Amino acid sequence: MVGLSEGEKHFIRGGIAQDIRTDGRKRLQFRALSVETGVIPQANGSARVRLGATEIIASVKAELGKPSILHPDKGKVSIFVDCSPTAEPTFEGRGSEELSTELAVALQRCLLGGKSGAGAAIDLSSLIVVDGKVCWDLYIDGLVVSSDGNLLDALAAAIKVALSDTGIPKVNVSLSAANDEEPEVDVSDEEFLQFDTSSVPVIITLTKVGRHYIVDATSEEESQMSSAVSVSVNRHGQICGLTKRGGAGLDPSVIFDMISVAKHVSQQFIGVLDSEIAAAEAEADE
Amino acid sequence: MRDLNLSLNQTQRVRLEAALHELQSLVPAAASAAAVTVADTIPVNQEDNILKYISLSQENTIQEDTISLFVCADELVWCRGHGTSDQDGEVVATLCGVVERVNKLVYVRTLRARYKPEVGDIIVGRVIEIAPKRWRLEINFSQDAVLMLSSMNLPDGIQRRRTAVDELNMRSIFVENDVICVSTILALSVEVDNCFIFCFSDFKSVFAYVVVLTHADTLRVINHQAEVRGFQHDGSLHLQARSEKYGKLERGQLLMVPPYLVKRKKQHFHNLAQYDVDLILGCNGFIWVGEHVLVGENVKTTEDRQKYSNEAENFTPLETRKHICRLANAIRVLSALGFTLTVELIIETAEASVSSNVEVNDMLGAEFYVQTAEREAKRRAALLRKKKGGR
Amino acid sequence: MEYVNPLTGFRVDGRRPNEMRQLKAEVGVVARADGSALFEMGNTRVIAAVYGPREIQNKGQQVNNKEALVRCEYRMAEFSTGDRRRKPKGDRRSTEISLVIRQTMEASILTDLMPRSQIDIFVQVLQADGGTRSACINAATLALADAGIPMRDIVTSCSAGYLCSTPLLDLNYVEDSAGGPDVTVGILAKMDKVTLLQMDAKLPMDTFESVMGLAIEGCKAIATYIREVLLENTKRLEYQRG
Repeated sequence: MVGLSEGEKHFIRGGIAQDIRTDGRKRLQFRALSVETGVIPQANGSARVRLGATEIIASVKAELGKPSILHPDKGKVSIFVDCSPTAEPTFEGRGSEELSTELAVALQRCLLGGKSGAGAAIDLSSLIVVDGKVCWDLYIDGLVVSSDGNLLDALAAAIKVALSDTGIPKVNVSLSAANDEEPEVDVSDEEFLQFDTSSVPVIITLTKVGRHYIVDATSEEESQMSSAVSVSVNRHGQICGLTKRGGAGLDPSVIFDMISVAKHVSQQFIGVLDSEIAAAEAEADE
Repeated sequence: MRDLNLSLNQTQRVRLEAALHELQSLVPAAASAAAVTVADTIPVNQEDNILKYISLSQENTIQEDTISLFVCADELVWCRGHGTSDQDGEVVATLCGVVERVNKLVYVRTLRARYKPEVGDIIVGRVIEIAPKRWRLEINFSQDAVLMLSSMNLPDGIQRRRTAVDELNMRSIFVENDVICVSTILALSVEVDNCFIFCFSDFKSVFAYVVVLTHADTLRVINHQAEVRGFQHDGSLHLQARSEKYGKLERGQLLMVPPYLVKRKKQHFHNLAQYDVDLILGCNGFIWVGEHVLVGENVKTTEDRQKYSNEAENFTPLETRKHICRLANAIRVLSALGFTLTVELIIETAEASVSSNVEVNDMLGAEFYVQTAEREAKRRAALLRKKKGGR
Repeated sequence: MEYVNPLTGFRVDGRRPNEMRQLKAEVGVVARADGSALFEMGNTRVIAAVYGPREIQNKGQQVNNKEALVRCEYRMAEFSTGDRRRKPKGDRRSTEISLVIRQTMEASILTDLMPRSQIDIFVQVLQADGGTRSACINAATLALADAGIPMRDIVTSCSAGYLCSTPLLDLNYVEDSAGGPDVTVGILAKMDKVTLLQMDAKLPMDTFESVMGLAIEGCKAIATYIREVLLENTKRLEYQRG
């Protein structure tokens, strides 16, 4: 990540204040978004999302497992993020561990809800096969191939698209199993259940620079931020999660303002994302 | 289409293909036959040739009294230049590029590669580190370049020896991450045995075709080695910023494009008065687009930095900013299309966006991309027709 | 299991014994890198990115200041294999493959032309279906050529095995895990020299020669393909430049 001189930083701040950023975008405008599904054929669902120069590949794999004792009626989902050194030379070795962990935790908070499983955006009870015995474990992996700012939003979008591309195989459970034995399951190769992603939220990160907020910051603009608030909003305008990053303190009224701006922007973004998903699916069907 | 990822719809794709196809047809067939990749054999003619070697004086200028000529026997042949190597008597390419033959010199001109410094280039660099009596700059070369304190104009403009106080005050001139415009120094400090400067003569005049190669290049001719005297041995590239025009760049944005898209011309500073914008095309692929700064104000001191605290009054005016963003986006589109960047082309692209009522940000969209390709194809076709008709 | 059908001679995926999988190469996939490439051999997909030559970041690593320092890292995506890998980096296989790729490319890069600099090669495996180290070496060659780094020759690599008494070219994952021998060869294409040779399991000498010969032929075919891709790319850049 190259540093920026005082003069360049001043220019960026000026652009944000005057509502014309270095590439001509307005403050609340996203970069060009492009979406592709099915990029990893051996996964249950996958997607590649490009937001400007940031490129993310997300994959969803479903494996059969045992539900946890605390929640015998729910499946399990875990999210992992890996930043490839092809994106940044500084990501080699263990350089990206901190960033990957931060992104994975933020995604978990926004998409999976609290420890009790409450408020999860993905309906975990739809992943159960046999209560208390067999459930689906979903492993969601995000790979950052190219990085130019706003990784969290792009990851969330990629995960949403990957989930919409996911097909969980139908399982036939043999009913003759005794209660304390492991039931026999027959995983179908032919029939798949499409995952319901209507309630999966997107994440909008608002970066505060000076007195204004911008959406979809490039890595140059991110270096200028005083603080950033990531809000996860679903299609119905409900907030599913919230993270504040950055050291500067924010007035509570500012935070409320940022949340309402995020809600407003998210509806547009969800619209764009949905149309891209539809276009990608149409292409895949051809 | 590296930097902009664009999803083109079907019609746009067709139009783009047509425009690129037209561009391809404008190139003479011989040129495309000259393309080579790694390990390709380069055909050379075995001809007699006489070479003269000239040894250099301290300042690297060729002066009469220090010329010592010796004529080497006409054993070989072609001079093998950059990007080639000798394998089993064949000349083989070591890079992907286009074979160029200039006056019996055969070399491979690369396309996408890091910057290759040449004498007297204007480049834009970013300060990485401040070391004793020098600044280290990142210039898209295989190493960092060095700007000595003595190669820099002092703030007070007086020519004098640099004192210890000057050394301590280096931070007041440039700090880390500053963007500055410099020129490659006329004498490259290179390692002995590795820099060859030679002239070709046709016996009537010493036609000074000087090919200077940096320390990394090996121009070997039949095992003869030129004498190189008076160079430093650390092999780094030294820069200078002695004229008023060179110095710190502020109030603008820096763009990075592949160096092969910037042609070496007489002028690299461009003051676009109609926009009140300075455009500097660095030969190393770093391009600066910023607010126009009057010459002489370039070397700022610490007091000026405090001006930034009253920021709101000090921001670039909106009109100028729009122009800066338009020009920057024009450069982004042109470099994504792989077209050579010239001032005229950049201005033309920016003007075209205004006249087609394209929003500044939409210049990075699919439609403008395709339109720019079509426009360029027409322009080059017209140029070719003019050339052919002119004969 | 029948890896080679005795009647038709076809393999599990319908190929003939001396047939390679479908090759696909694309140059310039990572905008930010100096050079990058995507290489596919059948279902194995690999991205290589090259950063350099640039200033040495860590002076302690510099061994010889007359030559460039070549560094390499190999990473597999967690979703790249059939079962998810828990540790995509830092495990012994990754370290070994990183070393192998580095040594193979070092043999070809003209490091003395770029003293006091470093060249970073990063390879990311997106999908693994056998022959990953070969795909990585091929992708790295493309990326280095894209970055304009001078090389002696094009380095390509291919694997071959021996199952059901037949030498098989370019094993996929199923054939690789069949327990037969797996010979991976890397060559300098034009100079016709072998730079990488690895084998596991046992093979009688004459069989080994035929298997290795098959792998070398595969390497040469890949070299022809890579050369075409690079030439096409160079021509395109040149005419676009104007």
